[in-house]
Amino acid sequence: MDQLNEDGDAPSNTSGADPCAGILGRVVNAVGIVFALGILISAGILVLEVFLRYALNRPTIWAHETVIFLNAIAFLFGGLFVASRNAHIRVVLIYDWIATPTRRIFDIWISLACCAATTFFAWAAWQGVKRAVWTPAGDFRLETSGSAWNPPTPGMLKLFLLFILIIMAIQFLIFALSYISRKEH
Amino acid sequence: MEWLSYLTDFKAMGIEWATFAMFGMLLILLLTGMPLAFVTLLVALIFALGWFGANAVPLITSRIFSFVNSFVFVSVPMFVLMAAILDRSGIARDLFDAMRLVGGRLRGGVAIQTLLVAVVLAAMSGIIGGEVVLLGLIALPQMLRLGYDRKLAIGVCCAGGALGTMIPPSIVLIIYGLTANVSIGDLFTASFLPGLILAGLYCAYILFRAYLNPSLAPVPEAGSIPRAEKLRLLKGLILPVLVVTFVLGSIYGGIASVTEASAVGVFGVTLSTMVRREFSLALLTGAARQTLATVGMIVWIGIGATALVGVFNLMGGIRFVSALITGISDNPTVIILFMMLMLFVLGMFLDWVGIALLTMPIFVPIVVDLGFDPVWFGVVFAMNMQVSFLSPPFGPAAFYLKSVAPKDISLGEIFQALLPFIGLQIFALALLIMFPGITGR
Amino acid sequence: AQDFALRFQSSDPAGNPNFVLQSEWAASVENLTGGRVTIEMLPVNSIVQHTETQDAVAAGIIDGHITDTSYFSGKDAAFSLIANPVGAWSSPYEMLAFMRDGGGNELMENLVEPYGLHFIGATTPGLEAFVSNKPLNGVDDLKGLKMRAPEGLVQQVFAAAGAVPVNLPGSEVFTSLDKGVIDAADYTVFSTNQAQGLHDVARYPVYPGFHSMPLVEVSMNKDTWEKMPADIQAILELSVRDFANNMIAQLAAKDLKAVAEANANPDITVSNWSAAERNRFRTIATGQWASVASRSENAQKVYDTLTTYLRDQGMTSE
Ligand code: NA
Ligand code: NA
Repeated sequence: MDQLNEDGDAPSNTSGADPCAGILGRVVNAVGIVFALGILISAGILVLEVFLRYALNRPTIWAHETVIFLNAIAFLFGGLFVASRNAHIRVVLIYDWIATPTRRIFDIWISLACCAATTFFAWAAWQGVKRAVWTPAGDFRLETSGSAWNPPTPGMLKLFLLFILIIMAIQFLIFALSYISRKEH
Repeated sequence: MEWLSYLTDFKAMGIEWATFAMFGMLLILLLTGMPLAFVTLLVALIFALGWFGANAVPLITSRIFSFVNSFVFVSVPMFVLMAAILDRSGIARDLFDAMRLVGGRLRGGVAIQTLLVAVVLAAMSGIIGGEVVLLGLIALPQMLRLGYDRKLAIGVCCAGGALGTMIPPSIVLIIYGLTANVSIGDLFTASFLPGLILAGLYCAYILFRAYLNPSLAPVPEAGSIPRAEKLRLLKGLILPVLVVTFVLGSIYGGIASVTEASAVGVFGVTLSTMVRREFSLALLTGAARQTLATVGMIVWIGIGATALVGVFNLMGGIRFVSALITGISDNPTVIILFMMLMLFVLGMFLDWVGIALLTMPIFVPIVVDLGFDPVWFGVVFAMNMQVSFLSPPFGPAAFYLKSVAPKDISLGEIFQALLPFIGLQIFALALLIMFPGITGR
Repeated sequence: AQDFALRFQSSDPAGNPNFVLQSEWAASVENLTGGRVTIEMLPVNSIVQHTETQDAVAAGIIDGHITDTSYFSGKDAAFSLIANPVGAWSSPYEMLAFMRDGGGNELMENLVEPYGLHFIGATTPGLEAFVSNKPLNGVDDLKGLKMRAPEGLVQQVFAAAGAVPVNLPGSEVFTSLDKGVIDAADYTVFSTNQAQGLHDVARYPVYPGFHSMPLVEVSMNKDTWEKMPADIQAILELSVRDFANNMIAQLAAKDLKAVAEANANPDITVSNWSAAERNRFRTIATGQWASVASRSENAQKVYDTLTTYLRDQGMTSE
């Protein structure tokens, strides 16, 4: 089975990673399936929870928090996934109208701006991670949800956000470098 | 030379000019073709840095974390997943073929039926995003295949798909109820009829256009369909109707919460592909990958908007807007109309979460002080959010549709297609203000 | 002259009676300090989400917060136990007495200080009422009851009492009660439940509640606090004390009015548990404290102080 063809019928993802996204883009695209499966699994968990509660009167304490976590990491990774496909929604009213050489300049600056912003956000996320991962005394503890189940998902999610922002910054840098090195695009 | 100091310290601008500069910067960056999600994130970053310095930037990442870490949005990937599976199986096509039987002779019949599907979806969900994608993946290609006018078809999908927050259950009304401390049940009861009126206006508009210019909505077949063919087509309705019954039954029968019910829908649709012997692992993983890409786009647009609102609130946006309103007039009607104007303008730049966070705390006490019914105003607010979903340049419904529409449909075309529907929404809003009795209050 | 322009974020939405009282407190501080301190009260989620305000105050993004301390249970289990020791108090005044004279304030100060905050004082909206669409007259009626409970300890206690806790976000409580997905919910005080129409879909509220009374902390950024002159610090402390008394009295009056309203409504049956049933529930609840205490050193400290206090006051038989 051809991986590209599976996605092929949907207009929005006719392709995998953008050619300018480099090796990183291809890796991000390949890894995407893990998070996509997370969404599928979360649908299954919700159905299971409904069954356990309604039919057996035995709801779990873990279903909803697991579902939130699986979807949250999919949302975050999804942003990177779409970035590597260069498929984030944009208003191309003027962009489409300008000449190709100028457009290349636009592409370079847009990628650099996105890279700068995500780098800043990665730094900011690190400020939050410090408080979510260590106690004031300096002991390691992942921030938990505080529920009866009390999983460390908030701490894990804050770490994951930091990780995604770093990869995203690198991805935008790769885009910028590809646009700079390619005279024609 | 005074303006030079603005570059280093935004506070020197004052909140009035800063608000203006913020909108201006949004607009300019949007037009460069920068991805929308990053336009709002970048503007939020620039103002956080310029107004407060680097120490305020973690507020943006904190809001990103909170935005994705919520149960409310889980229904969005579920609806998108449902759509992606339907799209990959033959279910959607068969459904629309069968619909020709029921409303085939009616000019514009398929568009009307799409609206009907949209209303049913709205009763299953309290949030928009998933429904627009669902209609965009399923109804839009079918209407285009049947030769419908592109703009009419686009408008029906966006406007219909946005009905989820007007027809109960509705997350907009729940958030309003919590903010205004009024009964959510009363809000749901009050918004039901206005929601149907809005859908009715859409219907009337489609019929009007279709009869005025028959080429916009061709009637599929002239001759009569043989009985055997009718039976074959009708079979296409069985599974979708079963799935809908499943989902609605689980909500209204007290089996599942609204968000859980969306997963029940995914389950039902997957079972349907098995019954039709179309199920394969490749179909499921392909649908899941597409869901990841679609929610990646949708959620990051929301992330950008929530970041911007956080920064604006910290800059004193709440006080600024509050002062703006109370200074406008002594006439209650003028104040209400001014609020509508503000909601309309904000709707051009922000998503509903942002608008709700920004304006509800300010508007509700004023509305109550003026002697208006806060439940009625909740419905008015929800109607305003309908407009904000469609209005350019920041129209979430248009973005959601764009993320799944055929490549040759541009954002510009979508927004053009939405203009008459925005007109209808404003008309419905005017009705609500002139005849508050519509809400039963 | 205005020396301190502060922003405080609340954990309540703007139209909520709690928020109105908090805004009045903020205005009173401006009056009491002759305009040297101004406080802008911001509603829940306007700057950061309610669970994130502690970090935001520490980072100086906002200057302070008025919030339910249990939102920080994920940082340290001690917050969970001190915020809502289910079953400990039968009235808000018992809780305030513990905070002021029983070592509660010192515990809170020591808990939040390492996180970069200064604890100014505590308040509470009072005993939360219980919302149910089945008649509840005692612990036995809790058996098999599908109920929504958000926080850790509350959830654990109800599980121990035989109920079936369901995780649901606050935004889904109304629809889920209405359709019968759940039978009951830990929500908020009676008057707010009544105003939001919960009793229209869950007709058997229990009042006064028996299960939960949240500790609401008023805290601010530590560095900013230390920069303040002693007189302003004293004014802030006293104003919070006054705010607490004011809040408790006003909300209690609101509750009574709402209960009268509900009693007059033939569709709503308000039930009140007997002292014996309340004691049974309290015994189950206190049994769960120890499991929270074992989660961290600080939580153990809270547990020890609290149980000692209750024993000294003759409030427990142990
Ligand atoms: Na709805
Ligand atoms: Na809009």
